Amino acid sequence: MSISVKILFFAKAKELSGLKESQITLPETVSYKQLLQDVVNKYNLKPIEKNIIIALNQEFSEADKIFKLEESDIIAVIPPLSGG
Amino acid sequence: MCDGDAKICTLEEEIAELRRLLRDKEECLRALKIEKTLRNKFSGDLDRDEVVRYSRQLLIPEVGVDGQVALKKGKVLIIGIGGLGCPASLYLASAGVGELTLVDNDVVEISNLHRQVLHDESTVGIPKVLSACEKLKKINPNIKLIPKQLHANSETVKLLLEENQFDVVIDGSDNVATRYLLNDACVLNGVPLVSGSALQFEGQLTVYNYKGGPCYRCLFPTPPPPETVTSCGDGGVLGPVPGMIGVLQALETIKILTKSEGVVAGRLMTFDGADLTFRNIKLRPRSATCAVCGDNPTVKELIDYEQFCGSRADDKVHNISILGADEQIKPDKLDERLLIVDVRPELEYRMCHLPNSVNIPYSKIQSGKALDAIAESLNRNGQEVYVLCRRGNDSQRAIAALKPHLPGVKLINIKGGLHSYSKLVDDHFPVY
Ligand SMILES: [Zn+2]
Repeated sequence: MSISVKILFFAKAKELSGLKESQITLPETVSYKQLLQDVVNKYNLKPIEKNIIIALNQEFSEADKIFKLEESDIIAVIPPLSGG
Repeated sequence: MCDGDAKICTLEEEIAELRRLLRDKEECLRALKIEKTLRNKFSGDLDRDEVVRYSRQLLIPEVGVDGQVALKKGKVLIIGIGGLGCPASLYLASAGVGELTLVDNDVVEISNLHRQVLHDESTVGIPKVLSACEKLKKINPNIKLIPKQLHANSETVKLLLEENQFDVVIDGSDNVATRYLLNDACVLNGVPLVSGSALQFEGQLTVYNYKGGPCYRCLFPTPPPPETVTSCGDGGVLGPVPGMIGVLQALETIKILTKSEGVVAGRLMTFDGADLTFRNIKLRPRSATCAVCGDNPTVKELIDYEQFCGSRADDKVHNISILGADEQIKPDKLDERLLIVDVRPELEYRMCHLPNSVNIPYSKIQSGKALDAIAESLNRNGQEVYVLCRRGNDSQRAIAALKPHLPGVKLINIKGGLHSYSKLVDDHFPVY
């Protein structure tokens, strides 16, 4: 089963994807690795794939995690900013 | 450690011991002085001026006299006196933090003034740390301000942290290498790092290395590829955005100094000024496998961060040279009859451009789309075409990309771009 959830992009991820937010269809049960790959491929984030935080419902996702997604879930893709 | 002869070794040890001794004595002296000046017959721990000056924050139960004394004893290191460091140091000085060490190597430029609120027209050309201290002294003459005009690198930061016992370090820097450097230095010395950053409409804030929370490397073990990093000088930044983040850095520093709850550690606050949203992302705890704060750290002393990140520890642009000498011309040698192709983004072209130029953004050339059409449009205009950009780097890249599509045309790079044009030909052309 797949499910469509909201995804938000910050900083460089916003620039590379050209989007501030979008909907992404993912398997209902998905590993962090799979989720990262899908997000990186779909939204053109290859250059920063090692430099982003993926947050699910405003919580940092560990790399070994398996997610059970629900429709109300929100994924956020957050690279660090370095300017000041 | 010391691999020279025994004399060098002994001297180094003696000097280290003397430094420790000096630091202890300075601490002792400070404590005695504070104690002496704090006592008076009316108001106990604070003097008359302090009670009046800080009354509006003293009245907050969470601050009170104990909090104010804690601020007075506080020593804070602020790296970068720009868009973040200015508001941060402004509020910390005003709040009566006892000692502020300000570090920045740059001088004030006119393009700083829209966000770096401690500087003004009269201090353009003066070191930022001096400009800032002068202003802060006017606001609060009762605190100790230590301006250090130096480049924050492994040596200087190591020395600063060896010679001083800072309670907090504030990261107001503008580049990736300095961010990793400050992170490692703070982990190695056990100091909390109040980290802020900003670009365009967005800002981020968190406190690293505080009460079991993660450090920068726990979250971002690998530095980003340099070409994916945008500086404020290229991407732009709206003044109130770093202003907002810098003010919050001051707030978090005050909370740490006064041992208050609710410090933004173990979470990352993101701010988007475009729709005014604040988000708090709960972060992971300290990572057991972190290279610097983990259980078996591999980074045990400061390293070469420019090498580690593959980028320089500043936000300046460094010039490339990928063309032959016969493909370049200095801006004061231009033939005015020839066409100039300006490859800056359209937005920058609209800010200012040479009258006899056309705009074909490098991003368009880089995308590889419509290259033949671009080539065709240039072909009509004769055998030589100048290519121009802001600093003379993208113009070289554009030539390299266009060359294969334009065998019959000689593309010539205008060396040093519009910056150089302004310097050599006409300084009415704005340098931004
Ligand atoms: Zn760490």
